[in-house]
Amino acid sequence: MLKIKHFIQQSWLLIAASFLFGLLIAVTNAGLDERIKQNEKDKLNDLMKALVTDANDFKIEIEGVQIPGKRGRVTETDIYKVLDDDGNRIGFAFVAVGPGFADKIKLVIAVDDRCEKFFGFKVLSSNETPGFGDKIKEDYLGEQFKGAPAGELELVKAGKVEEVDSKIVAISGATVSSEAVVKIFNTYIDRVREQLQAKGFIHATKALRHEENKSELK
Amino acid sequence: MDTFNILLMGFISIVIVNNLVLTKFLGICPYLGVSGRIDMAFGMGMAVTFVVTLSGTLTWLIDHLILMGTPLEVTRYVCFILVIAGAVQLVEMYVRKFFPSLYESFGIFLPLITTNCAILGLCLFINLWEIDSLVEAVVLSFGAGIGFTMAICIMAGIRENLNLADVPECLKGAPITLITAGILTLAFMGFAGMIR
Amino acid sequence: MANKSMDSASIYKQTLLAGLWRENPVFRLLLGMCPTLAVTAAVKPALTMGLCVIFVLLCSNIVVSLMRNLLKPHLRILMFTLTIATFVTIADLFLKAFALRMSETLGPYVPLIIVNCIIICRAEACASKNGLVVSIIDALGMGVGFTLTLCVLAGVRELLSTGKIFEAQVMPDWFVPWAAMSMPVGAFITLGLLLGLVNAVSKRKA
Repeated sequence: MLKIKHFIQQSWLLIAASFLFGLLIAVTNAGLDERIKQNEKDKLNDLMKALVTDANDFKIEIEGVQIPGKRGRVTETDIYKVLDDDGNRIGFAFVAVGPGFADKIKLVIAVDDRCEKFFGFKVLSSNETPGFGDKIKEDYLGEQFKGAPAGELELVKAGKVEEVDSKIVAISGATVSSEAVVKIFNTYIDRVREQLQAKGFIHATKALRHEENKSELK
Repeated sequence: MDTFNILLMGFISIVIVNNLVLTKFLGICPYLGVSGRIDMAFGMGMAVTFVVTLSGTLTWLIDHLILMGTPLEVTRYVCFILVIAGAVQLVEMYVRKFFPSLYESFGIFLPLITTNCAILGLCLFINLWEIDSLVEAVVLSFGAGIGFTMAICIMAGIRENLNLADVPECLKGAPITLITAGILTLAFMGFAGMIR
Repeated sequence: MANKSMDSASIYKQTLLAGLWRENPVFRLLLGMCPTLAVTAAVKPALTMGLCVIFVLLCSNIVVSLMRNLLKPHLRILMFTLTIATFVTIADLFLKAFALRMSETLGPYVPLIIVNCIIICRAEACASKNGLVVSIIDALGMGVGFTLTLCVLAGVRELLSTGKIFEAQVMPDWFVPWAAMSMPVGAFITLGLLLGLVNAVSKRKA
């Protein structure tokens, strides 16, 4: 009994403070939670809107698509459908993650309605070397993905930047980061297409036709 | 074999490529404060390694077993710092009781460790990198400690020799240490991107 | 009576000025090095970090000062950390809600304010011994001193690494951005040279 009394005497302030502080955090969180979630949603929406200029609204179409990653790990992502002003579906968008030069790179990627062409990508978050790998955020790389065929992409050291094809010209000084971006595209697009086909949003034949196109290009 | 590879890569990456002191600026206070003599630096490094392994493991467990996916997630920082403070206290009591001679040499450093950013920083980075296996979390925490020890020992070695150099009056002490640290990070930058 | 109020006014002034120069947390006490180096690649995150530290420092100094007579010596540090961690969490939530971009740039360095030695040092050295008013003034002085230092350091680094200040171009066209300044190297060396400069200036004054 005496021990308990001693214990309480020593620590009543600590216990009282814990409750008070806990309450304080809870109140702040309750007040701001909605806004924080809305912020995150807005950020994703803004980026997707910047990708697909005609877009008006985004809705989750397929939840939790599993993407097999390196080391046998599985990452999950949601596929959004992109709607224009009249509510017509004009494409799909998803968040893709992959290892970059320094840390993870998180991208938002959009493809058109038939999963044939990329709308391009935007960087959601990255921690690449400023002045070098950081350039993946700039238009030089971004423009090359706009309209590129939605299939296996290839990174080349030199080539025509303006040409819209499956060849992506690396940023000089940031080859590793450019490669990382291409790799993320290649990891995700096949799985995403499979899922879209399985759910009947696009037709398998269209994707096949696209494969033929690619072999013709070669 | 595959898991072993992952663990080895993770270990090397946190010791050399993503060294907490030299690339993430964590644990700079002791890095500048106790890197005057190499034996002190080594003692500090060992103490930090011990505490960081313990608290890295504990915070991972707490994060994954209790906090994740519940509204309690907002109290993550409070939980982490309490775990670290508790771990430091425990280690201090344990060492004092069972290894008095070790306590003598560790003594001054132990309470300081609570406010060592490297430890809380590592716990946060483990959460940020979404490490999802316990073994990996343990290896990473241990590696972070080793990386810290390495950095602080290199620094101490340089500073012991720096005492003999003719440094401009106004740069003596902390300024020249910082500049040396800068050049050291430049060397370590060469490792960047080695492991992805 | 008048004399006494004069005295307290001069004490307040001294406490305020101490944080700005004589006991500047970064240049003189070498405290809070981790955020000083990590977030000073540009002025904006540095300023945000400074404001967060002022907020946490102020709140924790107020709380600690109010309960300074109730503190048990061996539970003191635990109490301080608990207080600081609470206010840091609140600051972090506010950042996430009202400045998402800054919150992402600062990343884990916001929660790392908890282990920023400045705050625990002020709680121990000032707030647990002094009354409410002195503690508040001390917090303001130290916080503003810290923020100004961060901004100076960040200004130099941002100018050299991108040619911009506050994201506005100031350097002429021929200036080649010096990317190394925004990397760890730049942080350490700039701070080292600035410290040297401060030492030289204060020596000349004395």
